[in-house]
Amino acid sequence: MIIDPLRAAGAIAASGLDAQSVRLKVVAENMANAQSTGATPGADPYQRKTVIFASEFDRLLGAPTVSVKDVAGDESAFPLDYDPGNPAADKNGYVKMPNVNPLIEMADMREASRSYEADLQMVKQARTMTSQMLDLLRNT
Amino acid sequence: MEPVYLFDLASRHANWASVRQSVLTSNVANANTANYQRMDIEPFSEVLDETSLTLASTAPGHLNINGTEVGAVDDGTVDTWEAKETGGPVKLESELIEADQVNRGFSLDTAVTRAFHRMLLASVRSGA
Repeated sequence: MIIDPLRAAGAIAASGLDAQSVRLKVVAENMANAQSTGATPGADPYQRKTVIFASEFDRLLGAPTVSVKDVAGDESAFPLDYDPGNPAADKNGYVKMPNVNPLIEMADMREASRSYEADLQMVKQARTMTSQMLDLLRNT
Repeated sequence: MEPVYLFDLASRHANWASVRQSVLTSNVANANTANYQRMDIEPFSEVLDETSLTLASTAPGHLNINGTEVGAVDDGTVDTWEAKETGGPVKLESELIEADQVNRGFSLDTAVTRAFHRMLLASVRSGA
């Protein structure tokens, strides 16, 4: 073991915190752009983004950390809205709306938040263990 | 009298617990990673089975306390543990419960070490 396992636990949990906050950022982007249509007739609107996590084995820590491999677009179809006055409306008067479903985004946000809390909990526990060990030196 | 190697036992268990904590942290960090298989290390009882807690003579000059002949040099210390995939996805709740157990075990280790140390100190001080 190259590094103290308790410090490794902190670093691994930090990678998890990092990945979950990127995910939260992407959810915020999706929510903010839930109504962003294109600017020209028939143009594609904002495409929903999703994060792809990948675990990679960290040789120094001796355990797999997590990272955001890619932020990919959601390939599902854009819903159509009838709105002839919109500059993005095609010749039949339909506007392509972003494929963002607020309910799904909220669920995703909740899950990211829970995972973030779990990572924080692990950091907290590793810190408790370290301080217990250091307390051995303190009061003798 | 058979000596009790409580310090050794406690420190080995503490070491095992901190390795396990880092493996469980990996599981939690990768809870949302696709195709990630949950990992764990071997339970402490198995570590204990392959660890000799009696004093091993690791050098020819070591005194033999048991009166038997000096055996082969075998320092049965295990310092690294291999994290193996146990299969199945990660369940956050069970990971946190396991981590809590690890934490409790670690508390016990430090408490035992402290108590034993106090005991040693008491005997040293009373002799002075």
